[in-house]
Amino acid sequence: MFLAVFTPSDSSKVSPDAALARRLLQRDGSAFEELYDRHSRLVYALVLRILQQAATAEEVVQDVFLQLWRNTTQYDVSRGSFVPWLLAMARNRALDQLRLKSERQRRREDQTDELPPVVTIPDFEGSLDEKRRAVRVRELMGSLNPQQQRAIELAYFEGLSHSEIAIALKEPLGTVKSWIRNGLLRLKEGLQRAS
Amino acid sequence: MNGSDQVRDDFRELIEAYALGALDPEERAAVAAHLATGCAECAAALGEAQWLVSQLAYLAPDSAPSGMLRGRLLKTVREEAAASKPSASAWPKSVIPAWMWGAVAAMLLFALYNAYELRVTTDTIRRTRAELEKQIQLQQESARKLAVARHEALILSDPKSVKIAMPAASKDLPVLQATWNPELGLVVSGQKLAAPGAKRALQLWLIPKAAGAKPLPSLTLRPDQDGQFDLLVASPPGQLSGTKALAITEEPEGGSPQPTTTPIWVGVVAGK
Repeated sequence: MFLAVFTPSDSSKVSPDAALARRLLQRDGSAFEELYDRHSRLVYALVLRILQQAATAEEVVQDVFLQLWRNTTQYDVSRGSFVPWLLAMARNRALDQLRLKSERQRRREDQTDELPPVVTIPDFEGSLDEKRRAVRVRELMGSLNPQQQRAIELAYFEGLSHSEIAIALKEPLGTVKSWIRNGLLRLKEGLQRAS
Repeated sequence: MNGSDQVRDDFRELIEAYALGALDPEERAAVAAHLATGCAECAAALGEAQWLVSQLAYLAPDSAPSGMLRGRLLKTVREEAAASKPSASAWPKSVIPAWMWGAVAAMLLFALYNAYELRVTTDTIRRTRAELEKQIQLQQESARKLAVARHEALILSDPKSVKIAMPAASKDLPVLQATWNPELGLVVSGQKLAAPGAKRALQLWLIPKAAGAKPLPSLTLRPDQDGQFDLLVASPPGQLSGTKALAITEEPEGGSPQPTTTPIWVGVVAGK
């Protein structure tokens, strides 16, 4: 189900996360502990933002990290950046859980299954640390108009489609499409400048 | 711009929304079909778009999971990590691997087999050595007998030898024959003799010509089971020329310095 595999722009560099993930293949519990301590906060924050319920969010986070531990081979160490892969897995799990709650599963199920197997990491991906990246992403999002921000958040955190967002925001479909695409492109450009 | 480029650009405009999961079903299916054609440019754009989408996670308000979640996860992971080490769990109380026990058993069997082989070999060597010693003794005895026979033959055939008949005092006993060579020695032989009693032997004496001289003791003998004997005296205690007669008495086994019984056989040495 979790087919998102990321390819780094420079495969000769092995990140600390990739090195830890390799140790997971050897059933190294201390490597798992280190990976959990490095990323559980971000994963939990994402899942909690989607589900809005701490207990359920912890269950999903637990599932995500146990999936990481028990099926480490799903992550191709030589091909991708670890954090985007982990976040994609966590988001998919959380949205699955959200669909069960809201019975709005039809579109998301199809969408999740069609995730492409390879995700290319841009050259500037590795130049920001976690805190600076969070600050920069929030700054860039804050620079968008509130409706544009809301459209992107509805798509990312609630898994809504263009049409659903248009209905939710009572805006034309074309406007919603433009907001989302232009907002993502501005985010991309801003991250490139920040690197 | 040709038609193909236009189609690709149309899909490129949808790639970010596709990565975000925001496309409606019809558009999503169209993009998926286009990606399935192997469009490398759109595939690369999709890769970057999915990375970009993942960055939206940083918009979530910072929050940390409970310590209990961490404890539960680490406990599970440690248990599963320990269970994935079969050598440690399958043989928790043994520090010696199974293959080493097999090697020890094999070495023990080998040692026992070697001990058995050593014992068999030692017995074989002992028996062979005894047989060899027996053969050597037989060869030495045969060589001695051959040497005696040759010596006796020389004495008997030498023209210088003197033949001496030794009749018994009793007519029931056979006459013994003696042949004395002044240089080669003395031979006495006889047949059909009864063996002396237990711990008794026949002893040869040289009776000197000199008046008053005592008999000179010589060798003892016992006839074989057929009643025959050949006694070679290579170095007689007296000279042929100074000996008056030969006599044989029955003496204790081992001989006597002087005769203790009356001579049974006496042979007069004729002068030459």
